[in-house]
Amino acid sequence: MLTKKQKGANWVLVTVMIIMSLFFLFPVVWMIANSFKPDAAITADMNSMRAFIPPALDGNFFENYISIITNTSFLRYMGNTLLYAAILIVLGIVVNGLAGYALAKINFPFRERWLLVIMMLMIVPTETIITINFLFIAKMGLLNTVIGYILPMIVNPFNIFLFRQVFISLPDDVYEAAQLDFCNPVKYFFTMVLPMSKTVVATVSVFTFLGVWNDYLWPSLVFTSSNLLTAQIGLNSITANETTTMGQTLALITMVTIPVIIIYSLFSKQIVEGVVSTGSKEG
Amino acid sequence: MKKKTSTSILGMAFFGPALVLLTVFLFLPMLLTLVFSFTDYFALNPDLTHFTGLGNYIKIFKDELFLKAFINTVKFVLIIVPLQGLGALGLALLINKVTYCKKYFKVAFFIPVVMSLAVVSTLWMQIYSPEGILNTMLGQIGISPQPFIYGANQALPSIAIMSAWQGMGYQMIIFLGGLQAINPGLYEAAEMDHASGWKKFKDITLPELKPLCVFVFITITIGAFRMIVQPMVMTGGGPSHSTYTIVYDIYETGTVNWEIGLASTMAIVFVIFVVILTIIQTFLTRDKEEKNVNKKAKRR
Repeated sequence: MLTKKQKGANWVLVTVMIIMSLFFLFPVVWMIANSFKPDAAITADMNSMRAFIPPALDGNFFENYISIITNTSFLRYMGNTLLYAAILIVLGIVVNGLAGYALAKINFPFRERWLLVIMMLMIVPTETIITINFLFIAKMGLLNTVIGYILPMIVNPFNIFLFRQVFISLPDDVYEAAQLDFCNPVKYFFTMVLPMSKTVVATVSVFTFLGVWNDYLWPSLVFTSSNLLTAQIGLNSITANETTTMGQTLALITMVTIPVIIIYSLFSKQIVEGVVSTGSKEG
Repeated sequence: MKKKTSTSILGMAFFGPALVLLTVFLFLPMLLTLVFSFTDYFALNPDLTHFTGLGNYIKIFKDELFLKAFINTVKFVLIIVPLQGLGALGLALLINKVTYCKKYFKVAFFIPVVMSLAVVSTLWMQIYSPEGILNTMLGQIGISPQPFIYGANQALPSIAIMSAWQGMGYQMIIFLGGLQAINPGLYEAAEMDHASGWKKFKDITLPELKPLCVFVFITITIGAFRMIVQPMVMTGGGPSHSTYTIVYDIYETGTVNWEIGLASTMAIVFVIFVVILTIIQTFLTRDKEEKNVNKKAKRR
């Protein structure tokens, strides 16, 4: 139990921290509040507390959002990104999952060496090889194609390693029992292994989604055609346009953030566990 | 014997798709980056490629722009690492202490992490604009307008502050995990000895968190080394190249000017730094594990 004195100190701390958090979040509050205002109001409100308060709810409340949705291809870019993320989640789970399973459970030549190689590849930052990958994709004539964007992103040493760490603790007798029922290994993987490892599948899916949604460098290299842009690149091309107002820009970046907020609130437990575990594993 | 071959085939079949993709998009690019770093490979005229030995390595360290990018990156690291690392640690310690609204604080300080770099950069371009909200707020407490990202002296620190703001919540969560993992018995024992709050922090919290600190500070350093998106969106590397970074130089040299040879050399120099940092990290954290094992052994 807390003593009276400790309780008092705690309230002071809470109050101080609430003020701190408000200062910390002022850019976000400002972004959301002003995404509902025309530019004249944004400038007029700048000098007062009204800068952090949304305008009255009237017919023009969603004006900036509506003009972004109707006058730009932004919804299309959001759709593109969702599609790319979905493809990469499925392909990523199959390719990295199968590899992780092989490294965990199947005895094949040089297995330990491959594992070591995968662990070493985890260190290499993508920025090192992005030039050559761009050259490859360009030479293959795959610039401005979905395939060119997706192909280098499927395999992920970190996810292979993650899958391997989980699969290695799966019981072996289930596999033996399945073999007696003449269940082939591929079928066993998809009907038994993956369903038994829902947590890691969810973690990999969530982090793949966030990675694809927030990625900037690679899509900015591969896509120049406006039809295929991802949300982040589309955002940049729309704000670069002179006619886009400040309010519209704020509405745009709020919209890009909404899907990510949804994902975080649905999977906050897995994400926090994932974040904490990167620390405890390495530390 | 037959069973052994069949499991080998099965293993390679499972590992195969990943191996093909790893080879094409990771091994081969790494190998080519290394090979090209010793040549003057120019992608628009590949026939004229010569082997230049260490020529590129000497060239980039005489190249004013690369040196500037290098110094900028180091400056960025020096600003952001203490800011973000200590900020995250401070927040975690405070939140760990607080008994009310804990959940609110965790979410509040994590919100910027959720936003992408492009979004945060676009937002802060508005915040930092000459007549923007930040200058207005500063004006109200009597500070004259600052140029922020539009001034050569302030641009890099401004981007560093923004990046620390964006990333801090992530390490805060890691530190909170670490704090919760500390054995409460240690504090109880210290309380029996009437240890002061500071003494408890210095003798229990800090030593227990030390390996996590090493991990967090090096992760931030590596992340800071890789910085490119913020200046790409906000400043285009300017004003007068004050926010131009190593990765930005690799990107422009390779994919804009098509000087793959030179870009590869820069990439190799860059990766050497990252690998050194990673080795230091593994070394420092492994050291701790061994010590722990020794401690346990002694106890027995």
